[in-house]
Amino acid sequence: MIRLEGLTRSYGRTTAVDGVDLEVRAGELVTLVGPSGSGKSTILRLIAGLDRPDGGRVLVDGVDVAGVPPHRRAVAMVFQDYALFPHLTVHGNLTFGLRVRRVRRAEADRRARAAADRLGIGDLLDRYPDQMSGGQRQRVALARALLRDPSVYLLDEPLASLDAPLRFATRADLLALHRELRTTTVHVTHDQHEAMTLGDRVVVLADGRVRQVGPPQQVYDEPADTFVAGFLGSPPMNLVTGGGVLGGDPDVTLGVRPEDLTLDGEGPVAATLEAVEALGSEAILLTRCPDGTRLTVRTGPRPGVAPGDEVRLRADRLHRFDAATGRRR
Amino acid sequence: MSRPRPPLTGWAFLTPYAVAVALLVAVPALLNLGYAFTDHTGLTRDPRFVGLANVRRMLDDGFLLDSLRASLFHVALAVPVRFVAAVGLGLLLAAPRPGGRWFRTAVYLPTVIPDVALAVLFLWVLNPLYGPLNQLLGLFGHPGFTWLADPATARVGVVLMLAFPIGEGFVVVLAARRLLDGRLYEAAALEGCGPFGQLRRITLPLLAPVLVLLAVRDTVLTLQVNFVPAYVLTDGRPANATLYLPVYIFDQVFEFSGFAYGSLVTILLMLVTAVIITGLLLAVRRWRVLR
Repeated sequence: MIRLEGLTRSYGRTTAVDGVDLEVRAGELVTLVGPSGSGKSTILRLIAGLDRPDGGRVLVDGVDVAGVPPHRRAVAMVFQDYALFPHLTVHGNLTFGLRVRRVRRAEADRRARAAADRLGIGDLLDRYPDQMSGGQRQRVALARALLRDPSVYLLDEPLASLDAPLRFATRADLLALHRELRTTTVHVTHDQHEAMTLGDRVVVLADGRVRQVGPPQQVYDEPADTFVAGFLGSPPMNLVTGGGVLGGDPDVTLGVRPEDLTLDGEGPVAATLEAVEALGSEAILLTRCPDGTRLTVRTGPRPGVAPGDEVRLRADRLHRFDAATGRRR
Repeated sequence: MSRPRPPLTGWAFLTPYAVAVALLVAVPALLNLGYAFTDHTGLTRDPRFVGLANVRRMLDDGFLLDSLRASLFHVALAVPVRFVAAVGLGLLLAAPRPGGRWFRTAVYLPTVIPDVALAVLFLWVLNPLYGPLNQLLGLFGHPGFTWLADPATARVGVVLMLAFPIGEGFVVVLAARRLLDGRLYEAAALEGCGPFGQLRRITLPLLAPVLVLLAVRDTVLTLQVNFVPAYVLTDGRPANATLYLPVYIFDQVFEFSGFAYGSLVTILLMLVTAVIITGLLLAVRRWRVLR
């Protein structure tokens, strides 16, 4: 279990992490998601002990780890670019920590082989990092973390360097591994697909502050503010300040997800279709209302309309936010 | 369709350098090889071929043996000392820290001082009566050495002077260390690897190719640059202790008009260098640095 209390870290004038409170329950997989510079990696480094907070506390299993060096924190970290030792083979990389901790050579060898087999890289033990693919290197990094036998896994964008098909497959593997180990895991990503699919809970960060915490679907369905609403979802939620074409008061911002807008001849919103992005399994329609408001619509494939057509739209699920603060009403 | 012509631009740019190397290095080297088997004094018009006479002379040349011994001692001491100083200071000062640039400047500074000036400075440093080194030793109750007047300490004195102009190796180590990925050190720290473990398990293995290159370069250099300090500080004395091969070659060629014999000794110097470097490369072969 990890508890962060008022965690703060600044670099010069930039506040990377600004009073973050968060609790990660034992065995839980929590995803920190946010744009670059939102402080998610810094939080990970503060938990790992690679960086020191200016204020606040990190508690692992109820113990304040302020004075505890990284290797005594029972955490294992997988770095974004894996940080494999380029001068060591896979075997050397896997036994590195064990040898540092003076585990006997034969025992270290046995454990390294077991971890490698578990991740399906047992036949790569003699390879050097520069002789492997990105996916294989990622597995070595995971195996190295596994060998730490930690009570917390910290994953810093572990899938970011992989190409799309591999990322999809590895995401499933990662989830399976977590289900099997049931070890507390904090996972950092800027990819909202990962955030939606990987975490038990997702933490949305912006400017070093926590914007919303909750199960992914709940955060998606009920975003706490306009930032979260715009960040999660692709294409992002349509936000109309003052209600505008969606109707409503001037002091609210109304939001509607592209999939909640439907082409409907009787619909209340009139718009001109500007472009159609056919994605195969679905189509994205870019429309423009007479007052200039742009609305994005997600429909099934082959919507039967063409750019330039006048269309009418129906909004099914509206989100209401305070126009001044952006908070959900 | 015509085949693309091989690009000539590269060769054109190389030409001036190639001409210079041919005229100033290759031709003299070949001439040197020829002169080694003649009676050329440096002044003779028509040197005559004398076969292996110079080689025979070399085999019972006691001075040459002294010179060889002095050179080998010098390499054995100066290369490790300079290497450890350059690598140690380079690694210590690579990390950004307050005042770091002043320390880095201080380390590099002796390199920009002309050899002769540094040698004259060391005449003072090593002076047995009022030199600061003996005075420093005096603080610890040591009577001091007669430095350049004693064969053993004279050799050490020369090495001491050459332990300072290490700026080039220092800068190379500094740059190479800064290129290493900081995350590797974080990964190692997470595994409980302390500063010395990181030095042994990460920094040195990753820098090995650079370090081997530096060691080879310094070996070549050290066998030659001891000429100036030896000439200014000791002139090859006392008791031929600092009669390094370059000094001996200079004496033969320019002082004793033994141009041919001096040429032969330069060939010996080159062979000695080649043997040492071959040994060095064989010794580090298992480190996978030349992959």
